[in-house]
Amino acid sequence: MRTKSSAKLKPCWWDALVVAAVLLLAGGVFFLFYLSNGSGSDHLTAVITHKGEEVERVDLTSLTADKTVTIDGTYGMTILLSTDGAQVISAQCPTQDCVHTGKISRAGQSIVCLPEQVVIQLVGAKSDIDVVIG
Amino acid sequence: MKRLFAILLAVAMLFSLTACGDSSYTTDIFAMDTVMKLTANGANAQAGVEAAVREINLLESQLSNTIASSEISQLNAGGSGTVSEETAQLLTAALTYAQKTDGAFDMTIAPVVSAWGITTDTPRVPSQEEITSLLQLVGSQHVTVSGTAVTLDAGCSVDLGGIAKGYASDRIAAIFAENGVTSGVVSLGGNVYACGMKDRKTGWRVAIQDPKDSANYAAVVTLSNQFAVTSGGYQRYFTAEDGTVYQHIIDPATGYPVKSDLTSVTIIGTNGTMCDAYSTALYVMGQEKAIAYWKAHSDEFDLVLINAGGQVLYTPNLEGNLESVEGSSYAYQVIR
Repeated sequence: MRTKSSAKLKPCWWDALVVAAVLLLAGGVFFLFYLSNGSGSDHLTAVITHKGEEVERVDLTSLTADKTVTIDGTYGMTILLSTDGAQVISAQCPTQDCVHTGKISRAGQSIVCLPEQVVIQLVGAKSDIDVVIG
Repeated sequence: MKRLFAILLAVAMLFSLTACGDSSYTTDIFAMDTVMKLTANGANAQAGVEAAVREINLLESQLSNTIASSEISQLNAGGSGTVSEETAQLLTAALTYAQKTDGAFDMTIAPVVSAWGITTDTPRVPSQEEITSLLQLVGSQHVTVSGTAVTLDAGCSVDLGGIAKGYASDRIAAIFAENGVTSGVVSLGGNVYACGMKDRKTGWRVAIQDPKDSANYAAVVTLSNQFAVTSGGYQRYFTAEDGTVYQHIIDPATGYPVKSDLTSVTIIGTNGTMCDAYSTALYVMGQEKAIAYWKAHSDEFDLVLINAGGQVLYTPNLEGNLESVEGSSYAYQVIR
């Protein structure tokens, strides 16, 4: 529709400000989304949860030396974290499933201790795997 | 100029929408003697996952062998009783799979499993006399299901552990659908359900653990609206006083832990309960019988076998879908 008031539609500085604000906001959300997406990160990270609570989150790629994490509880265990993975080196639980699992080194893998309810998960490192079965 | 602004704004808003479209909700829970991870995408993700968790807890309270008040524990303790329609149907399904697999999957193995104490705090090696005597209690003929009334022969007991997680995954598929979840992935300790696609282009990429190297995968399959269940004896085992290693899956024919030429069996299909039962059964059968069984039922499921000889064997339907893993020492071969 043609109107005579087209002068009112001329972009002014306020319009530019709105455009800039929208661009900034959208850009911010865009980058926030991609940065928060763990699988997009190129750092291998170990996330340790005990009875549903996250107790440790360690960026393995940035480790300069091996790190030992001790979980206290009914059974308790000692976890060794290194730049290339995670391993339960000792546990006081009867079944020893977590020790038997051995060392994990790829994002998506996990070590589980059922009696102590500990889960050690590896995330990040640009994994294209959604779930590990077995 | 105005058009340029309009286009810029439209593109910018489109980017801001990517975050909304990809909203994802994940929960980890300990249930059914394993750790479970449930992920759903989209607007109904949280409602779908929370409803699924409620269902898992409900099923565990019905089907568990370790919760004394469960229907199965009560049935085992009393020898007979009336169960819910759902439990009766699952018991019937278990009997059907036992019959189809000629007893390689058998829920009545429970008394033998208890004697071994596998997965308990005190595993032990029973005497041959004890095993021979307990094997007389094993077999589908010892279970009668009539409607919701169930009777076990004296001394017999049942364990739905080899099928319950698979059934739970079937229920989760239904619950996701009821809640409008069209994209998600669920891992119930060796049981995976891939709901829809991960995104518009790709399905869910499921890695099969390498049984002989905990740090690696043996293969990767991409799934959509399918279930995958893996069985193997390589993670749960105990070492007896004489140094012998006993893994946790008991062969119903011998009463001893399976001595299989297979190290891992993965069943892929559209029925989680079936995949769960078959993964155990085909592991028990060993390679030759497992392949023969698949050939006779190839319309029901797909199969990935890993054997002690370093081969990954898979069915023709998975050609073009199953990926080998870089640097893997396995030889990959299609089953013909």
